Amino acid sequence: MTRKTTLASVGAIAVAALALAGCSAGDDNPSSDGPIELVFWHGYTEADGDVLNGIVDEFNDSQSDVHISTEINTWDVIDDTLLPALSSKTGPDLVAMPAERFPVYAAKKAFVDLDDLYADADSNLSDVVEGAKAMTVVDGTSYGVPIGFVPLAIYYDKAAFADAGITEVPADWDAWVDAAKKLTVDENGDGTPERYGIVLPDHATVGNGVWPSLIYGNGGDIVKDGKAVLDSPENAKTLAYWHDAIVNDKISPTGVDGIEADSVFSSGKAAMTFGGPWMTFIAGDAGIDYGIAPIPAGPEEQAASAIGLTLSVTNQGDAAKQAAAETFISYLFNDDNAAAWSLGSGWPPLRSGISADAVADNPTVATLSQYTSFTRPLLPGVVNSTDVLSALDELTQRAMAGDDIASLLTDAQAKVEAALADQ
Amino acid sequence: MTVTSTRAYRPPAPLGGRRRPHGERRRTLTALAFLAPALVILGVFVAWPMLSALRLSFTDASGFGVEDWVGFDNYVRVFTDPAIRDSMVNTLWYTVLFTPTAVVSALLLALVLNSRSLPFRGFFRTALFLPFIVSLAVAAFAWSYLLDPRLGLINYWLQGAGIQLGDVLEDPMLAMPAVALVAVWKNFGFYMVIFLAGLQDIPASLYEAARMDGAGPWRRFTNVTLPLLSNTFAFVLIFALIAALQAFDQIYVMTGGGPYGHTETIVMEIYKSGFRKLDLGFASALSYVLLIATLLLSVVQFVFFGRREKDLG
Repeated sequence: MTRKTTLASVGAIAVAALALAGCSAGDDNPSSDGPIELVFWHGYTEADGDVLNGIVDEFNDSQSDVHISTEINTWDVIDDTLLPALSSKTGPDLVAMPAERFPVYAAKKAFVDLDDLYADADSNLSDVVEGAKAMTVVDGTSYGVPIGFVPLAIYYDKAAFADAGITEVPADWDAWVDAAKKLTVDENGDGTPERYGIVLPDHATVGNGVWPSLIYGNGGDIVKDGKAVLDSPENAKTLAYWHDAIVNDKISPTGVDGIEADSVFSSGKAAMTFGGPWMTFIAGDAGIDYGIAPIPAGPEEQAASAIGLTLSVTNQGDAAKQAAAETFISYLFNDDNAAAWSLGSGWPPLRSGISADAVADNPTVATLSQYTSFTRPLLPGVVNSTDVLSALDELTQRAMAGDDIASLLTDAQAKVEAALADQ
Repeated sequence: MTVTSTRAYRPPAPLGGRRRPHGERRRTLTALAFLAPALVILGVFVAWPMLSALRLSFTDASGFGVEDWVGFDNYVRVFTDPAIRDSMVNTLWYTVLFTPTAVVSALLLALVLNSRSLPFRGFFRTALFLPFIVSLAVAAFAWSYLLDPRLGLINYWLQGAGIQLGDVLEDPMLAMPAVALVAVWKNFGFYMVIFLAGLQDIPASLYEAARMDGAGPWRRFTNVTLPLLSNTFAFVLIFALIAALQAFDQIYVMTGGGPYGHTETIVMEIYKSGFRKLDLGFASALSYVLLIATLLLSVVQFVFFGRREKDLG
C-alpha cells in the first residue's frame, strides 16, 4: 500500500467514524426489563436543591419501577437549553422552571396535560393552593404543578428601625413612605443619602413582581381576563405616588435592578428591601438582624405578587414515562414530602392541607405562609410574558426617571396589547 | 489561398497515453478523501443547519408539534414589526459606533507598533492582542463590574477627578456606546495584527523613493501606505462590519437589551424570538434577512475596494 493510499484510507475511516459518531443517537433506556429511567431538570442549586434531590433519592429507594436522575442547572440555563433539548428528544422528562416562563412552553404543547392527575383522588393534588395552581393553567388546561409559590415580602433591618425610633412595621403605603423617610439618612447633606429608607428596584425586579405588587395594591392590574389593562387611572396614580416618594423624598435609589437591590440592602445602604426566602441567607451572611413583613396594604387592597416555579412532565417520553413522572409528582405532594419540601426550601407549603404546625420549625416558612391568602400569581396564562414584562420594565423605569406617566401608560398598553395578540 | 479547416483544435494526447486520466481520478479521489472530514463537518454543522433554517423561516415552527407552511408571512413581519425596526436602527447605531472606532484605532496602533524605533515593540503587540483571546462574555462581565456605579473602579477613579459618570449601562444615551466600546477593546488587537501584516508587506523601497521625492510623513501615509493597504483595509472593514452586525454576547451580559430596548440589536431579537418566545420560524426569517444584509454590504465593499484598486493600478 502506498503512503498516499494509506493516508486516504485513514481519511476515509475518520469520515466514517465522524459520520457514525454524528448519527448514533444516545439511548438512555436500552433495557426493557429494568426500571423506567426519567431525567429531572431543576435549578435549585443551594440547600433547597439538596432537599429536593433527597426526596428524589427516597422516591427511587421506595420502589423499583421508576428511577429518576436529577440534573441541576441555573434557571437561565434551563430556559436556554430546554427548547433544543426537547426538540431533539434529548431533554428531561420532568422540568421545573420559573412560572412566568412556563406558559410559552405549555402553549406549544411541550408539556403534558395534567388535568386528569389533578382529578385523581390519589394524586395528593386536590388541595393545591389556588393561586399556585393558577400559574400552571394555560387556555383552561393545567400543564404542570406548582413547585414553589412564595409572596414577595419586605425584609427590613431591625437595628435601622430601632435607630429611627420606628417600633411598628408600617401597615399601609403612607405609613410605609413615612417610615422610609425617617430611615433615609443623608449625613453630609450632598443630596445622596448614605442610607436609603428602602431600595425599590425600577426594572428587572425580584421575580418581576415588585411593581405588580404595588399595582395590585392600588386596585390596578396588568392583564385581566386576557386583556391588557395597564393604561388605567389607578396605575397612573400608583406610578405618580411612587415617583414622588422616590424622586422627591429620595427614599430609594433609582435605576436599580433586582439583583443590585439585594446588594444595596446587604451592604447596609438601604433599611428595607423586597425579596423572597433567600433574603434570609443574604441578610444573615451580611450580619443584618432582619425582620420579615408583608408588603404594606395599598389604598385599595393588600397584595403581593408571587415568585412562582412550576414542575411539568414533558411530552417527549412515551405514555409509560409520562405515567411514571406523574407517580413522582404524587409522591412529591404527599403529606410528608410536601411539608419536608416546604421546610427544606423555605417556601410556604403548596397544599392548603399542610397544617401550620407541620412547618412551624422554620420561622421564615411560618411567617410567609401567613401571606399566602393575598399572594397573586404573576401573569398566569400569559404566553408572551417576555414582551409584557419588557413593557412593564420600560414603563416603571421611565416613570421613575421622570417621563410623562400618561403617555408612558399609553405606549405600554399598546405594547402589552401587541404582546397578547402575538401569542 | 489557404484552406481553412472546420475541425476543432484537438490538443495532443498527453504523454503516458490513456493511463493518465485514471491517475487523475485517483488523485481526485485522494484529494476528496483528505477533504472529506472537513466537508462532512461543514456539511453537518454549517450547510445543513443553514438549509434547515431556510425551510423553518417559511413555517410557524416552535420546536414542538407540527409546523405549518406560512409562506412569506415571517419575512413580512420582519419588515413591519416596530420592535424589529427599532432593533435594526440600534444595530445600525452600534455598527456606526463600533466599526470606524475599531478599524481606525487598530490602524493607528499598527502604524505606531510598526515603527522599528519603538522600544518593547513585542511586549506592546502582545499586550494589545491579549483582549482578543478573552471570551467576550467573560470580558463583558468584567466590564460590567468596572462600570458599576456603586462598586466599579472606573466610577471610583472618575469620582476622584470630580467626574460623575453615573450608571452608564442604565443610561439610554450611554449604554450603546459602552457596549460598543467593550467590543472595540476586545477586537481591535486582532485587526491591528492584520494591519501589521499588511504594513510589513509594503516594500521599504517605496517609502525611500517617496522620501527622495520629498514626501513628508503624511504624504507617505496617504500615497504609499493607504493605497497599498487597501486590500487589508477592505478585509478588516468587512470583518469589523460582520462583527458589528452580529453584536450579541456583551449586550446579553451587560444590558440584556436595556435600558428599555436601547441596546436591543437584531441578534438579540433573534435570540428572544427563538429562545424566549419559541418562535423559531420568525427567528430563522430574521436570521436570513441579517445574512443577506451582511452579504450585500460585503459585496458593496468588495466592489468599492476592487474598483479603487483598479483605478490605482
